[in-house]
Amino acid sequence: MSYAYLFKYIIIGDTGVGKSCLLLQFTDKRFQPVHDLTIGVEFGARMITIDGKQIKLQIWDTAGQEAFRSITRSYYRGAAGALLVYDITRRETFNHLTTWLEDARQHSNSNMVIMLIGNKSDLESRREVKKEEGEAFAHEHGLIFMETSAKTAANVEEAFINTAKEIYEKIQEGVFDINNEANGIKVGPQHSPTNPSLSPNGQDRGQGGGCC
Amino acid sequence: MFRSRSWFGVGLWKPKNPHSLDHLKYLYNVLSKNQTVSESNRGLLVETLRSIAEILIWGDQNDSSVFDFFLEKNMLSFFLKIMKQKCGSYVCVQLLQTLNILFENIRNETSLYYLLSNNHVNSIIVHKFDFSDEEVMAYYISFLKTLSLKLNGHTIHFFYNEHTNDFPLYTEAIKFFNHSESMVRIAVRTLTLNVYRVEDRSMLRFIRDRTAAPYFSNLVWFIGNHVLELDACVRNDADHQSKNRLADLVAEHLDHLHYLNDILCLGIADLNQVLTDHLLNKLLVPLYVFSLDRQKTRSSSPKNSQPYVSSVVSLFLLSQVFLILTHAPLVDTLAKIILHADRLIFSNSSTQDKIVLLQQGKASVIQPGFLPPTESLEISLEISLDVSSRSMSADSAELASPCTSEPRSRQPSLDDGTGTTDKGSEEKVDHDKDNTEANLNITDEEKHLLKVLECQSGPLACPSSTCGDSNAAPSEGPLLLSPEGPVPLAQPLSNQPFIESVYNALNCQENDYAALFALCLLYALGKNKGVSGALLHGVLYPCQRPDTPCTPLLNRYNLSLVEKIVAIITLSCQPSAKVRLVTLELTIRLLTQIVMNANVSFLQDGHLAAIEGAKEESSSVLRNFYKSEEIFLDMFEDEYHQMKKKPLNVEWLTMDSNVLLPPTGTPLTGIEFGKRLPCGEVERARRAIRVFLMVRDLSLVLGMESERALPLTDSSTCVQVDHVLNLNNSDLIGCNVVLKDGSRMHRFLVIDVIQLILVEPTRRLGYGVAKLVGFLQDIEVTGDKDDSRCLHITIHQPLSSGISKRVPLLSAKFIFDDHIRCMAARQRLTKGRAKARQKKMVQIARLLDIPVPQSTASSSAAFNLHAARRQESALRGGIRIAGGREQRQVYNAQKLPGHAAALRRENTPSPSNASKSPDRTRVRDSSRSREASPKPMRPRSEEIPLEDIAKVKDQGSVSFKDNSPLLPVPMTSSILTSNTSTLSPSHVSLQSSAMSESAGPSTPSSHSPAKVSEETSFTSRASSQNSNSGGQRRRGQVETV
Repeated sequence: MSYAYLFKYIIIGDTGVGKSCLLLQFTDKRFQPVHDLTIGVEFGARMITIDGKQIKLQIWDTAGQEAFRSITRSYYRGAAGALLVYDITRRETFNHLTTWLEDARQHSNSNMVIMLIGNKSDLESRREVKKEEGEAFAHEHGLIFMETSAKTAANVEEAFINTAKEIYEKIQEGVFDINNEANGIKVGPQHSPTNPSLSPNGQDRGQGGGCC
Repeated sequence: MFRSRSWFGVGLWKPKNPHSLDHLKYLYNVLSKNQTVSESNRGLLVETLRSIAEILIWGDQNDSSVFDFFLEKNMLSFFLKIMKQKCGSYVCVQLLQTLNILFENIRNETSLYYLLSNNHVNSIIVHKFDFSDEEVMAYYISFLKTLSLKLNGHTIHFFYNEHTNDFPLYTEAIKFFNHSESMVRIAVRTLTLNVYRVEDRSMLRFIRDRTAAPYFSNLVWFIGNHVLELDACVRNDADHQSKNRLADLVAEHLDHLHYLNDILCLGIADLNQVLTDHLLNKLLVPLYVFSLDRQKTRSSSPKNSQPYVSSVVSLFLLSQVFLILTHAPLVDTLAKIILHADRLIFSNSSTQDKIVLLQQGKASVIQPGFLPPTESLEISLEISLDVSSRSMSADSAELASPCTSEPRSRQPSLDDGTGTTDKGSEEKVDHDKDNTEANLNITDEEKHLLKVLECQSGPLACPSSTCGDSNAAPSEGPLLLSPEGPVPLAQPLSNQPFIESVYNALNCQENDYAALFALCLLYALGKNKGVSGALLHGVLYPCQRPDTPCTPLLNRYNLSLVEKIVAIITLSCQPSAKVRLVTLELTIRLLTQIVMNANVSFLQDGHLAAIEGAKEESSSVLRNFYKSEEIFLDMFEDEYHQMKKKPLNVEWLTMDSNVLLPPTGTPLTGIEFGKRLPCGEVERARRAIRVFLMVRDLSLVLGMESERALPLTDSSTCVQVDHVLNLNNSDLIGCNVVLKDGSRMHRFLVIDVIQLILVEPTRRLGYGVAKLVGFLQDIEVTGDKDDSRCLHITIHQPLSSGISKRVPLLSAKFIFDDHIRCMAARQRLTKGRAKARQKKMVQIARLLDIPVPQSTASSSAAFNLHAARRQESALRGGIRIAGGREQRQVYNAQKLPGHAAALRRENTPSPSNASKSPDRTRVRDSSRSREASPKPMRPRSEEIPLEDIAKVKDQGSVSFKDNSPLLPVPMTSSILTSNTSTLSPSHVSLQSSAMSESAGPSTPSSHSPAKVSEETSFTSRASSQNSNSGGQRRRGQVETV
């Protein structure tokens, strides 16, 4: 499928905060686990539309790779956006945010958009971290903030799309160097400056068979 | 049949239950009916695949019969069948994602084993997907990565087949090691690391024997090409245009090194040996180290077309290597080569195996040189695996190229033959040229040493034959390092061209571009845990056997290096030096490392004198910036706190691509101040301050003295919040403090020497507790034009708090009882602020050996008043005191804050100076005559009314009230006592110098007694190190040594 831009995201945060579930929920909406089923995935891609433009989001979960410094380093550098997730029912996952953020700031490119996500908002009765605390943390560190539930899908779309909007704005402002793919942003085929009027259809067929 | 049953079942219990065995049966039915993918059933198939994943996970967590059915019907084979048709990315992607979900979420171990048990997964892995489709590629590599996270001692056998020597998960993945998509490369790296850490011997043997050489040689070549690209980027970007690109390349190189380090840190001995071999022989030595000394090599053999990078880049990259990699056999060997090897390691084939030898005496048949792998990784792997699966026959090696053959190849002779026949002859010519050139330029003495060296290197050949058993420790390796210790120092550098070029790079006459990285490299070498201490003692650390009588103190450290370092420090202290602060800081750090051991300095007198000279120079440069302007004090304190708070982090420094570009002066590049040259007067002043502070600090460390004069505020003598104070006899002004939010409280204002304190009375009479404490120097006071009883006071955070956002400590309206009290408070605050700052300026003046006028002689208030009025009238008349005298005299403590405009140096005449030039000489004369008498220096116009008020108050005793600010007449004596009581002991000496000043009142003579005392004190300095006045005294020493 053709797109104007491709944004690469990473998801970070302690284990068990629901990173891979968020990812799956966003990329494959059918997994709305009415039945008690936790299910996640480490990679996913989905097309969204911002400002009338098709934008593809590629989301890479970094779980299980914390043991290797080289891996986390590289992941951070290759991403345009990061979802920093904590679990509102586990205070310690909130307490670790600072470490995550330091890591992210140290390794990522300075323009990376970071969104703070308090996940599992459906478990109100077991809440340990107040929404205001998340807001305050986000405000203090200049992040966007949202509470989500991978289970009920509440705010999941918004979390990913708002992050994309922020990145998109930064592109419009010229903050991101879109010709530099190392930033986690790729310009789609029909956006090549040489022939912007080229119909994407031809390329589409060649690449992605039966996407229609 | 299934369909009807499931339909029946669903209909019976729940209208639609996607999580049930029946539903899976239904899906099975769909799959079996749609085994051929067509336009029409694509959507249905994708939907079916998604549902299968969901049901299986549900089944794994809830109902084991679901999984049984899946396995029983061999449903994975449908996946394969679908895949094998050219089904397009839509279906492929869903297929891969279903597999991803499956393997990611399965918790039940037996389910996992069942899934893996038939070879379907491996068939899926080796399936040739359309990898040109980035989406397929991404899902495929994620699938492999997900699988690799499931690897352990048990599951490994489903992926690695010992009998067929087959490990598709690994071999397929590494084919993408240089994929253009960074996320794919990262996934490959993750996978390899996950594989390596599975402790399975036969698998690791397979990895090492069949794949390690091809993979690592390709990886190393890939890294090398990145390095060449990086070099090109630096070379073509003197104007800082493609900073982003360069930043990426630098970060990429760091990624490579971290990846290599992660592998090496897994501690798989055999694998590490192969990797180390490749790194040393194919990258680090032939590209990085070779480039250090490239100029000479190239001039002697112009034909040499070996790729190289600029020496700056090579120094930078090697610093990164030593900062990140710690694998002892690797870094130790590399360090040895840099420190001791000669150019011959590049010269001919016979010495090529030197590198090999250096590596812990283990043999390698890798042909050294930064050369491309003979074929792509894919082909190498094919050959390697093909061969292995056919038989282990001898002809296998024939197929394998030198660089892809296994490290422990059974045919070393074969490789040697092919490796040297073509290359060797060519290189031989180069070598000969090398030799002739070398011989032409060296003295007889050096020739002799060359022979000695050759003799020494003779035995090097021996271990090659016995390499098998020479598992010597690195420190005992067959290197030129003699066991006697500091012999390397005695060897002329020309035999060690690499370290020589590092030393040569330390020359900062033109700029410090290369010097910074040479320092980084030396620092990194010294700090690397993997480099054996024996290699560094005497080079980067003091020699370790100080008790050996035959080692004179002279050789306790690396003299030639220290000389270079001292030269940098000396140069940095010049006013227009092209040495950046970061370079100076690193130089200083390196120097202390080289000459100090357990806080004891071995620095020779000559070098110490040079350091002291540099300090003197730096303080004289700073004296030129010592200004009455307020900002000077703030800058001084800020620089001090930054120096203390943010010590240089070398690892971070080498992560900054900005330093790789030639040093620049303009802040427009966005490069932080310490990493560029100063731009403009203010930055030059900042630089002068920082240089002075750093060199002064070094001088204290080397002199093993403790800091006595800095920071300017001695926080131990400050009042803290919640202290209970005896306020009897102190000046208290009651007031109401109204905060911004409207809240109001009643407090008493106390003005100390350097602090402003708001107190609340305690129950004990005459005592109060401090509720808020601020420094007088940080206050801003403005009146209220509507209410004469009000003041607006803002107290800023002190600079030392290190808070970048300076939110005021307090910003409030103070309401006093009446306007008289208000005026008094305002006056005290304003004056207290000026005095607090003045006091610190005096402290700085002392640090800089600027004569501090102490008007000790007279203390008559009347006289002071009189003199002050005289001066005031002079100022009012618009006459400016031109600084035509020697500069030193400009810096009078009295001409401090608030009088900025009144003081100008000759070279920067004020406009009024220019216009009133006839007056100038007169004024100068008058000022000189005034200068001759110390008396008029004390008073200031501002003080007049204050002193009038203060006169009625009594003197104040020794306790807290003693510090109360408005100390009246006799001004001078009280100042002196307060000085001695509040300042650190080092300042006590100033009393005596002040005395001598008062004894000989004329300025020139007043200066000389101080100098004399300095010189006399020098002679006894060594014996009595407590003889205070840390900074100032040393000066005398330098001059007399």
